[in-house]
Amino acid sequence: MWIAYGFMLPAAILVAVLMYWPMIDTFRESLYATTFLNPNPTFIGLKTYEQLFGDSTFWQIVRNSIIWTIGVVFLQNVGGFLIALLLNQKLPGQGILRSLILLPWVLPGVVAAILWRFMYDPQLGLINSFFMRLGIVEHGVGWLAEPSTAMAAVIFAAFWKGFPFSTVVFLAALQNVDQEQVEAAKIDGAGSLRRLFDVVIPAIWPVAVVNVLLTTILTFNYFDIICVLTRGGPLNATAIFPTRIYEVGFGQFKFGEAAAYGSLSVLVLVLFVGLLLLVQRRQVKAA
Amino acid sequence: MASRGKSLIGKVPLVILQLAIAFLVLAPFFWMLSVSLKPANEPFAIPARLWPDNPTLENYILAFRPEFRRYFLNSIIVSGATVLITVPLALLAAYSLTRYQFRILSVFLAAVILAQFFPAGAMIIPIYKMVKAANLLDTYASLIIAYITVTLPVAIWMLRGFLTRVPKTLEEAAAIDGARPLRAFFDIVIPLARPGIVATTVFVLIVTWQEFLFALSFTSTKEMRTLPVGMNDYIGQYGIRYGELMASSVMVSLPVIVIFFFLQRQFVSGLTAGAVKG
Repeated sequence: MWIAYGFMLPAAILVAVLMYWPMIDTFRESLYATTFLNPNPTFIGLKTYEQLFGDSTFWQIVRNSIIWTIGVVFLQNVGGFLIALLLNQKLPGQGILRSLILLPWVLPGVVAAILWRFMYDPQLGLINSFFMRLGIVEHGVGWLAEPSTAMAAVIFAAFWKGFPFSTVVFLAALQNVDQEQVEAAKIDGAGSLRRLFDVVIPAIWPVAVVNVLLTTILTFNYFDIICVLTRGGPLNATAIFPTRIYEVGFGQFKFGEAAAYGSLSVLVLVLFVGLLLLVQRRQVKAA
Repeated sequence: MASRGKSLIGKVPLVILQLAIAFLVLAPFFWMLSVSLKPANEPFAIPARLWPDNPTLENYILAFRPEFRRYFLNSIIVSGATVLITVPLALLAAYSLTRYQFRILSVFLAAVILAQFFPAGAMIIPIYKMVKAANLLDTYASLIIAYITVTLPVAIWMLRGFLTRVPKTLEEAAAIDGARPLRAFFDIVIPLARPGIVATTVFVLIVTWQEFLFALSFTSTKEMRTLPVGMNDYIGQYGIRYGELMASSVMVSLPVIVIFFFLQRQFVSGLTAGAVKG
């Protein structure tokens, strides 16, 4: 009997003190004004939130966070699924590729970001050198320095780093699909596309939902890639919640405002995930 | 025979597509390796040369300087300590979650699942203040505390998945033979759960080895920085010495890549078990 409680207790205390308490405390903190010049917190109620809602930077962060999350999650899961389908075809050389494919995911985020910073470099980068050789562009493009291309560039780098995870999970799910059903559909004369949509996709749908939720949460909170590639710039074009929280909290030492951003990031994430689940349920009902 | 030949020809586009994916995955790695082996003047050839004419290890020797060795040591200490705390605690918790059915345990399980979704950005200010109040800023302890929050819930979740598949009958048989519950845990459960323990350990290592946000915020002196923060500093410091930057990138990545390749099979099965079985 004592094992049940005794074994659980250390982990339970740590989760409570190090996770639940900070989550609550973040909200409390956001009701106080603490700045570098005035380190003694003064209670100001919801004033920080009022200011944020009137601040165009805040709304830009919300918009960027949503674009970034949808972009990365879409590429990672659709791309990851298509690549998993391909790797499930029993082609020559697949064993090696299946082990190599997780490499980007294992690579530390900062290193991956440094690599892509270099890949995107206007003068020395492989991408520009490739485009220049093909004659598509005449001079190197500063992919990360242009507000119009920076977001797409960081999304692609994050896709590269993250898609192997989705691919591996989808591969495992594809290998669990009942082959008899697939064969039965074949005998009924269903072509490969029909089999994909009528048999395979419904079979792996639960895994896909979990995968999308997981990548949504991880991407929304992902700091490393954007911090190293652009620091949220140029002109906040790639600033998302985590980079903004770091900048406000540890760059400007405005803890109250950083905490408000933190609380709001939870709210935005919850709304976003809720909406996703709602759409998912609708689709299942419609199908 | 004819149909076989036809299906092989039909597979050619797929093989080409597969090569394209291999290229997408490997090109940045190839580039990292290539630049790290270039002598100091070669990275600047325009358009860039794909492979150095005279490969050299001089960048590695230059990059493996005392401060880099210090970052390396710090990363090993912080990751190692986190593994030593998180994995045993998660194993105990997972054991209690899979072997007993009390209401409080299901509450705890729900709390753990929910906690996995807490954004680090939302918790960082209170944890920072906590660590500061305890006078632990810029110490290993501050990072280990932060890394427990990052890894503990996932570790419990992963190990729970493994332990549900370890049959209870062996423990029950041991109990009938008069073994105390604790003995059964150490002699039967731990050996059977070893693949799960290995997979979880690798996962915690990969996560902590690359953790950046907390390490960047909680360390202020060079003596305490971990590899990711040190690498981030290098971007500015190295200026245009790309060869050294890429050589240190290779050295930072190598430990996790090597560990991963040795333990890949167990790791992937552990990772997908949780997600696929939901």
